[in-house]
Amino acid sequence: MMMDDLKLTALPEKEVPISHHRFEPYVDNGGTVLAVAGSNYCIVAGDTRMSDGGYGIQTRHYTKVFKLTDKCVIATSGMQADTIALRKRLDTQLRQYERDHGKSMSTPAIAQFLSNTLYHKRFFPFYTFNLVAGVDEDGIGCVWTYDAVGSHERVRFSSQGSGNQLIQPLLDNQVGKFNQQIVDGPRELSAEQALSLVKDAITSAGERDIYTGDFADIVTIDQKGVHFEKFDLKLD
Amino acid sequence: MMCEEAMIDRDDYAKRVRKERKNRIMIEINFDKISSSIDSNHEEDITRDLKYLSTTHFELPPNSKPGEFLDQVWDHPNAPKPIEMAHGTTTLAFVFNGGVIVAVDSKSTQGSYVASRTVKKVIEITPNLLGTMAGGAADCSFWERELGRRCRLYELRNKELISVAAASKILANIVYSYKGYGLSMGTMITGWDKTGPCLYYVDNDGTRLKGQRFSVGSGSTYAYGVLDSGYKPDLTDQEAQELGRRAVYHATHRDAMSGGFINVYHVKETGWVKISSDDCFKLYQKYYNVKPINDNNNNA
Amino acid sequence: MENLNRGGFTFDLCKRNDLIEKTGLKMKGFLKTGTTIVGVVYKDGVVLGADTRATEGPIVADKNCEKIHYIADNIYCCGAGTAADTENTTNLISSKLKLHQLATGKQPRVITALTMLKQMLFKYQGHVSAALILGGVDVIGGVVTPSLFTIHPHGSTDQLPYVTMGSGSLAAMAIFEAFYKKDMTKLEAMTLVADAIKSGIFNDLGSGSNVDVTVISQEGVEIHRGYEKPNERKYRSNPYNFKKGTAPVLSTSTLEPLGSRIIIEDVTMEG
Repeated sequence: MMMDDLKLTALPEKEVPISHHRFEPYVDNGGTVLAVAGSNYCIVAGDTRMSDGGYGIQTRHYTKVFKLTDKCVIATSGMQADTIALRKRLDTQLRQYERDHGKSMSTPAIAQFLSNTLYHKRFFPFYTFNLVAGVDEDGIGCVWTYDAVGSHERVRFSSQGSGNQLIQPLLDNQVGKFNQQIVDGPRELSAEQALSLVKDAITSAGERDIYTGDFADIVTIDQKGVHFEKFDLKLD
Repeated sequence: MMCEEAMIDRDDYAKRVRKERKNRIMIEINFDKISSSIDSNHEEDITRDLKYLSTTHFELPPNSKPGEFLDQVWDHPNAPKPIEMAHGTTTLAFVFNGGVIVAVDSKSTQGSYVASRTVKKVIEITPNLLGTMAGGAADCSFWERELGRRCRLYELRNKELISVAAASKILANIVYSYKGYGLSMGTMITGWDKTGPCLYYVDNDGTRLKGQRFSVGSGSTYAYGVLDSGYKPDLTDQEAQELGRRAVYHATHRDAMSGGFINVYHVKETGWVKISSDDCFKLYQKYYNVKPINDNNNNA
Repeated sequence: MENLNRGGFTFDLCKRNDLIEKTGLKMKGFLKTGTTIVGVVYKDGVVLGADTRATEGPIVADKNCEKIHYIADNIYCCGAGTAADTENTTNLISSKLKLHQLATGKQPRVITALTMLKQMLFKYQGHVSAALILGGVDVIGGVVTPSLFTIHPHGSTDQLPYVTMGSGSLAAMAIFEAFYKKDMTKLEAMTLVADAIKSGIFNDLGSGSNVDVTVISQEGVEIHRGYEKPNERKYRSNPYNFKKGTAPVLSTSTLEPLGSRIIIEDVTMEG
């Protein structure tokens, strides 16, 4: 009797799909990038952790922000191999352009060019999530945000990558001032305020996203050029 | 004997074919000759330009059908987070006596994530042609940009504006040639040509329809409800613009995938004009007369 | 109704949930303690250690959770796996052991707890995803003996002088294999445990934040919550302030607080 009472209903068996060898071209190496543009500056940050898609760290020093010209950088999260391939394409084309025209490509032109480059792999996309950031011909800060196949938009601020959903609401609130009736102080952040916000944002992402951490590259772009700075994040 | 005869026939045949092939090559453009007649720098430019202008060159996945490739990649227990492509949502356009009204929302979603609420879903193809974006954002903006290039080339070659029928057919032919590759677009091409105001619907199946009223996207059913009930051909310009705005507004009110701002364009005989861009929340306050009671700061 | 009297779990909804998942709706993931937990035997007892990160997919759900659970005054248990499973399993066995102690009037033995845990986990065939390290001190044949076990989710167990479990187990075991000695002092053992946990914290993304250490010996139990804190936040900007009136107010209404007096009336049965 006692044993009968304890008898359990069996757990229904799960249907296990028959696994045959398949093509797995993608791995997500994680990481977060973000950018904020002002009227005469642009600040970009990207952490330097690269994970194996699971619980392992492959390197703590993988820079996600890459200088394209003296006025423009690209920040890419997603798969490292695709990132390198994409960068290589952009870099060779930009160098070619510079040689042909005797000047480097303008930031808005680079933005459209990246879109085309991504769309040319529409049917086998790069696993990359990009931001293009810099200053335009008039020295005005600008950011473009992309999806994996080249849909893009010029914005004042954006983030991409594994910590995106943690950071974007913060930027919407603090830079975009969305849904606020009264805005304390000037509507645009000063370069110093933006720098502090960007550091706080990437630190916060590091607190809660396991794929964001180790160090961050903080990049400031203005008329004077591109300036890289290292910043400490948590190592756990 | 038979065998030898057959052999001779075969040789003859081969000779004939080779001759034909040679003739065929003769009518092909000999790039070597062209390049020798112009300076070497130019040659480099032309070959490079040809390479980059060719939009038919897409890298394809190394196996299977392109349309099914990505689904296969994500259908795997250890697959990384799927790529979510940006999608667009409620768009409408209608023809009336005063031209064509195009009204769209501005929300872009990647799965359940709102990627943007400030997307330009009206694509300005030429000063006389407008296109709209629904479905894959990258697909729409890339191909309508390409359509703009081809329309411009047409106009330079023929010294006259391209008709809306021709422009929409170019787009329809492009997407039809990529059938099965997984493109996703539902678009309306509008403009004012020799035949007057004109509206076409083109989608990724290759469908191309001429019509008076269209609405495309997940919010289209809501928009049609308002549009069809308020439509008549002899609306004034202002009435027509407000009808478009109201129809899209009510779609954003009921459809979670639509929202942001409502952009209204008016296609006139002289070309298109952007009429307005209104925040949905502001319109909500206007239509339903809802005001915050602590609105002590009067920022419009 | 039938199931209610049976005891144990009901699997009635499993089939339904599988069907729902097939239609494309994803079930929200459980809170997991992708974890580093370790234990080591030293001269006078055992030292248990754990990190304090709880994750939900890639998101850190709790930066400072407790993974060393109380079983009895002389027995503690580290848990890795689904947080709900480890907590409830250790709680259940803790209370059963208390009843056992009250019935027998003797100090609970580690081996008793071990047997109860493994029998329960085996019964559920790995569906209760708890990976445990059980440590304690009791008396065997009149000799005070420290004992240390691991219990896997399917119910198998090991007895070893130093053990690790969880997603950071390999990183932690590397430290043990390199530096473990027999008959360590308490401080040596605590330092070794902390180093092993830190190895997990830094090299395994499922583990993080602080080191918790619990020492069990005949003298009693020392609980060191936050024994080491190697991951304090490194940067914080000025506070974010908002003026009153930032949020639009559409309407207001006042809720009356609930009355503090409660009237209890006896209802007399009629008839």
